[in-house]
Amino acid sequence: MFDDSSHIAAQTAAAATISGHLYRASMIAKRMALAAKNSRAMVLRAGSKAAGLKVISDYFDELAGKTISLSHIINQSAISISQNSVRQWRTQSFLHNLSKSSTRIDQSKTDQLKPAMKVGENNLNDLADILQGELSSLNDQLLDIRQYMQSSNVVAVTFRLEATQTGEFQPLLESMANSIDGLSNEIKNHITFSQNQLAQLKVS
Amino acid sequence: MDALKLYDDGHQWYVFGRDPEKPEKIIDTNQFLIVDGDRSILLDPGGIEVFSTMLASVLKYVDIDQVTDLFASHQDPDIISSLGMWDQILPKATLHASWLWEGFIRHFGMDNIAYHGIPDTGERLSLNNVDLEFIPAHYLHSSGNFHVYDPKSKILFSGDIGAALEPPGMPMFVDDFDSHVEKMRYFHERWMPSNKAKRHWLERVRKLDIEIMAPQHGRLFKGDDVNKFLDWFEQLEVGVATA
Repeated sequence: MFDDSSHIAAQTAAAATISGHLYRASMIAKRMALAAKNSRAMVLRAGSKAAGLKVISDYFDELAGKTISLSHIINQSAISISQNSVRQWRTQSFLHNLSKSSTRIDQSKTDQLKPAMKVGENNLNDLADILQGELSSLNDQLLDIRQYMQSSNVVAVTFRLEATQTGEFQPLLESMANSIDGLSNEIKNHITFSQNQLAQLKVS
Repeated sequence: MDALKLYDDGHQWYVFGRDPEKPEKIIDTNQFLIVDGDRSILLDPGGIEVFSTMLASVLKYVDIDQVTDLFASHQDPDIISSLGMWDQILPKATLHASWLWEGFIRHFGMDNIAYHGIPDTGERLSLNNVDLEFIPAHYLHSSGNFHVYDPKSKILFSGDIGAALEPPGMPMFVDDFDSHVEKMRYFHERWMPSNKAKRHWLERVRKLDIEIMAPQHGRLFKGDDVNKFLDWFEQLEVGVATA
């Protein structure tokens, strides 16, 4: 088990990569929240002409808030996975070194290394179990945020449709709908990338 | 890795070095083990690249439970980057090093071993029958730097002072001081930054009764060669080797 250090190195790199992408997704979510606030302000200015947009705008604002919260949680999960991987990597390196030492000493001395070897192996198994739980949880969270983004795409479509009723406000509200759509897609791209990386982690 | 017993009278000193399996591009290092009954201390246990060899070498002379203490003269990777490994094999050990470096040395990985910060003025560590003295050697070359003196064996572990840059496989002791000087000159001119620190150290060390001066790189000095080294170092202008 502890011979495959390149696997753990790849796992560490993948976890850190996911963490990086999810951080970028959380930054986009913040821009999305700002867009939601702007859309609410615009709807208020449009008055009765945009009455149908108010509910959508409120929903979008709520969605943006939830996306930010979830992206923070997801980012923490990814960091935790990355830290777990580094611990596994270090423990594996220790076991590898211990194994090398064992080949150079007498049997009686080798027995002295066994307790540390056992502790190291147990730690490695515990870390692997924790990692599996964390990966599964992260996968669920990524699915949740993907659903949020799909809802966000729907919001953008509805927003665009409703905007046609708002006269002189139509171009501004359409532009806002495009912004919502674009930001949602940007987040979805990061989520898709992370899900692919995650699938590779689970496979390997 | 070669091992040589330097002293054996109630307690023992061993030096480990000249590792033929060490990767070619890393600098050769001397590691030291002092055994005093059921307590032992490893001095500058080395980098991560030599850990497995060092562990196997140490276990030839002591049981793993006997290694109770580690000492790091300073924070450099060739001194103590193996810490994350020792931390897992010696979870109850104590690492003695300058208080200055605790936050830095912990970057090598230290979940179990206790860190004992040595105050700037130095201090003593009692094993069973031997009292070791941690001698201040600040700015030679690190800003928080200690050497180890054992008054019973009269051995001074001198960290980077006395180090020489030589091809692999050199003898363990200096055999011709005059020809050895040129192997030490650049190292001391470049790595030792302060003439003032050098003078303070010489003043302190000349008061000690030294049979063997044992640096962390290169050859060890014995008998008259110790004083020859101190005289040579005294007249050497340091901190001057940059272009």
